[in-house]
Amino acid sequence: MRTERPVFLSLSPGKIHFPVTAIASITHRLTGAGLFAIIAFLLWMLDLALSSESGFAEAGRVMSQPMGKLAVLFILANLSYHLLAGVKHLLMDFHIGVSFEAASASSWTVFVLTGFIVAAGAVWLW
Amino acid sequence: MQVSVYRYNPDTDEAPEMREMTVRLPEGRDLMVLDVLELLKVEDPSLSYRRSCREGVCGSDGINMNGKNGLACITPVSEIVRRGKLVLRPLPGLPVIRDLVVDMSQFYRQYEKIDPFLQNDSPPPAQERLQSIEEREKLDGLYECILCACCSSACPSFWWNPDKFIGPAGLLQAYRFLADSRDTATAERLAKLEDPFSVFRCRGIMNCVSVCPKGLNPTRAIGKIRSLLLQQGT
Repeated sequence: MRTERPVFLSLSPGKIHFPVTAIASITHRLTGAGLFAIIAFLLWMLDLALSSESGFAEAGRVMSQPMGKLAVLFILANLSYHLLAGVKHLLMDFHIGVSFEAASASSWTVFVLTGFIVAAGAVWLW
Repeated sequence: MQVSVYRYNPDTDEAPEMREMTVRLPEGRDLMVLDVLELLKVEDPSLSYRRSCREGVCGSDGINMNGKNGLACITPVSEIVRRGKLVLRPLPGLPVIRDLVVDMSQFYRQYEKIDPFLQNDSPPPAQERLQSIEEREKLDGLYECILCACCSSACPSFWWNPDKFIGPAGLLQAYRFLADSRDTATAERLAKLEDPFSVFRCRGIMNCVSVCPKGLNPTRAIGKIRSLLLQQGT
């Protein structure tokens, strides 16, 4: 007879259902980690742009390439999502929108608004 | 209907496995998932699960149905079944004793930590400690919890720290006594909760609210406890 008991716990898709509020929460964390990683890239760009006149032109050239523009969109997506989800979190700390219906709606709102901001950014860049 | 059931017998099995079973549903009426389990048990009497009142009052038959925790006895098959298939697993994160029966000791230990009883050292009045209608209303949405563990076993914070984070069920009860006008141990209760884990591991993802079979809202109660801790300046 086995004495060590098994535990059912799986994060693979479809095994355990996660509501939109949970998806919004983990995305908040991921974008937070993303923003931290982005700091390195931004510091590198700032260093390059401040190094000399030719460095400034180089930084401008990098950022105007398709990959550079995509990077800007990625940064914008991380920043806007993290900011909006943070505001939602603060509101909930003030006991606003803590019913499941309200929290689901605000989670969807954060996703949709981030989509709009990124779309607007894409229009502006191209 | 095709039913996939988590099976584990500690006497014979090395590891748990999903076993496919078929059940013939009566035509023209909806069943509860517990009825399906009863039908399966006729086929295979070794299938184990907990049940008692069969009407959502005792909280014995909390299981994971198609990925979502709930009480088998009050979950209609029509509501949970997708694409003609039903997948039944034990509550996530709790040690499995056999099949769908889990060891709830950790869950009860967290409940015990919050001192789930009224504390009042003043001499009791001749008849009873009275509450105004408004004071009594503060307990609505708190006292109804039946400790089925659907919420705590749906909570990632409880999965990762079942020994340190009280969990949604325990915290809802903690607030039930904090909010009670007859309880005088508020300061002591709050002092026990101020560490970084007991309350503050809640990240407000609301898995608990989304699964509670009684429609309660532990996230709201946890927010209220946080406010109380903040007001105390602790």
